[in-house]
Amino acid sequence: MTGETILVFSEEPDAVLGLVATARSALAGTPGRVEAAMLGDGAAARAGGADRLYRLLLPEGARHDPSVAAAALQQVVDLAAPRLILVASTKRGRETAARLAGVIDAAVTTGVSSVALEADGVRIHREVLSGNAIGEEVLLGPNPIVAVMSSAPTGGSPAAAPTEVTDVPIEPGPARITLVERTVKPAGGLRIESAERIVSVGRGLRKKEDLALIQELARAMGAVVGCTRPIAAEAGWLSDDHWIGLTGHRVKPRLYVAIGISGAVQHLVGMRESTIVVAVNKDANAPIFAQSDYTIAGDLYAVVPALVRALTGT
Amino acid sequence: MPGPIRSWVAVKHGVDVVLARAERATGNVAMDRAPRKTSDFDRNAVEEAVRIREKFGGKVTALTVGPPTAKEALRDALAIGADDAVLISDPARPELDGRGVAQALAAYGRKHPEFDLWFFGEGSTDHFTGTIGPRVAAALGAPSLSYGRRVTVDDGAVVVDREYERELERVRAAFPAIVTVGQEINQPRVPTFMSTLKASKKEIRAVGPADLGVDGAEWAPTTRRERVFVPEVARKRQALAGADVAASAHMLLEALRAEGVLP
Ligand SMILES: Cc1cc2nc3c(=O)[nH]c(=O)nc-3n(C[C@H](O)[C@H](O)[C@H](O)COP(=O)(O)OP(=O)(O)OC[C@H]3O[C@@H](n4cnc5c(N)ncnc54)[C@H](O)[C@@H]3O)c2cc1C
Ligand SMILES: Nc1ncnc2c1ncn2[C@@H]1O[C@H](COP(=O)(O)O)[C@@H](O)[C@H]1O
Repeated sequence: MTGETILVFSEEPDAVLGLVATARSALAGTPGRVEAAMLGDGAAARAGGADRLYRLLLPEGARHDPSVAAAALQQVVDLAAPRLILVASTKRGRETAARLAGVIDAAVTTGVSSVALEADGVRIHREVLSGNAIGEEVLLGPNPIVAVMSSAPTGGSPAAAPTEVTDVPIEPGPARITLVERTVKPAGGLRIESAERIVSVGRGLRKKEDLALIQELARAMGAVVGCTRPIAAEAGWLSDDHWIGLTGHRVKPRLYVAIGISGAVQHLVGMRESTIVVAVNKDANAPIFAQSDYTIAGDLYAVVPALVRALTGT
Repeated sequence: MPGPIRSWVAVKHGVDVVLARAERATGNVAMDRAPRKTSDFDRNAVEEAVRIREKFGGKVTALTVGPPTAKEALRDALAIGADDAVLISDPARPELDGRGVAQALAAYGRKHPEFDLWFFGEGSTDHFTGTIGPRVAAALGAPSLSYGRRVTVDDGAVVVDREYERELERVRAAFPAIVTVGQEINQPRVPTFMSTLKASKKEIRAVGPADLGVDGAEWAPTTRRERVFVPEVARKRQALAGADVAASAHMLLEALRAEGVLP
């Protein structure tokens, strides 16, 4: 093998670092190159040790139109002739990947957790069936595009030679999508993804005021409060940063206590990586029980106060 | 005031993620034999198109790509309120991959360019790649507005409020445009007995590559599906039941301390 190129792209400098690392491990010691396409000064690509940096000179404020980034990447693909294109599986990343796939007619997939180059294609693992299962697929044909889930960057390998830089100017086409307004979401401060212990509540709770019970237990356990989708999205009792599951946050605490939660598949996928799972539910047949280490069948309005008393010795 | 609006909605008859089961011996899910249902967000997409028609007039057509059994998804769309439905099939390839589905939908779009808005789910319940809508848009050279949480129609244009991880955007594009939506956008109506009955009597048009003026070679897969498996998570499943609730509570805390997950 005379060295293949993996091209990585992200709009987020933080993600580029992780993508370069993923690309290096996909090359697995073969004499390949990792080239990065990004906006801005490319500091992340250099820090990550990319062999080449394509600086995309996108027209000001074109971020809201994924076809602009896709057009820019199409030019880079022509220059770099990559074996594989890696992007971050964020919402914008998936959108750009899809548009690029449409333009260059390549295989594309998203939400990928592992990537390996093989003789006849690119083997990947990804989440399927709403997170209930893992799919193993081989992407065939030229320039497959893979959107990978974020992984912690594993300390960049500094480039032996200085990163080469190529500027890619983009002709601003006619604006197809106009941005009327952009609001940055208020940062909730809660980082539930990194919580060690979570006390999570579902629709077993009767009213918003009763959250005090759950909060009290969380405090006594040194835990953060989590919830199911209905509590955040429908009732609005807790903000979105507490929401766990397929469309919420993925968590992996050492202890997950599910209170008044039935255990729908879309919730389970968000907490499956917890070390120890406890369920409190008045229905001993609730699906959550089969996915738990310790279960108490009972009314949360009796069990939660009893737990608080046992913890605080009152 | 906008005139009548011609909407299309892409609906998928995907694997039912609740009913699909892994085979005990292998841990594999036989996707080709798994029970199917209409993909969740596609119902939201149909509902949104129907609401727009109810407001401005026009017509809603549901489209699916798949074998004849995928007509089920079209029946669901008709029961929610779509006016008519088209099944796109390639008899040579009963199951297409993502590229094949996008190519088939794009072929339909080229042959019938008369739509104003084309709705997609932002991800399908079984595969959730989130790629089909923007990919079809790219193939047709149309703007794609993804992750819609609110859609309003202005004179000859669509305005979409959409949600990213860290920001919210309001964007606008002239027709024809492709919009993808998630479950927060609306609450799809529950079909009534009458609407279901009416839907079951509607004729569903079936088209193949030849009807769309292509030979189907461009629908060939670029993905080889090796397997789908359920990762084993072994849980202890210990039921704690003391003499009373206080006793159960103490048993739990003891167990958690023994596990080292509680100080
Ligand atoms: C596309 C899609 C995406 C989704 N994404 C998510 C997601 O990200 N996260 C998520 O959580 N859900 C998600 N859902 C929703 C999911 O399917 C379930 O509807 C939801 O998780 C149920 O929440 P719950 O367990 O709080 O409520 P329920 O299912 O109503 O369960 C309530 C439970 O409380 C128990 N209970 C009632 N009273 C008491 C009491 N007094 N004491 C003890 N127990 C009691 C009941 O026995 C029951 O088991 C999604 C659904 C779809 C279709
Ligand atoms: N076979 C299909 N037929 C019609 N529409 C589809 C099909 N597969 C996917 N779609 C549409 O594309 C969306 C996104 O699917 P996916 O890219 O698989 O996440 C779905 O919500 C549907 O609107």
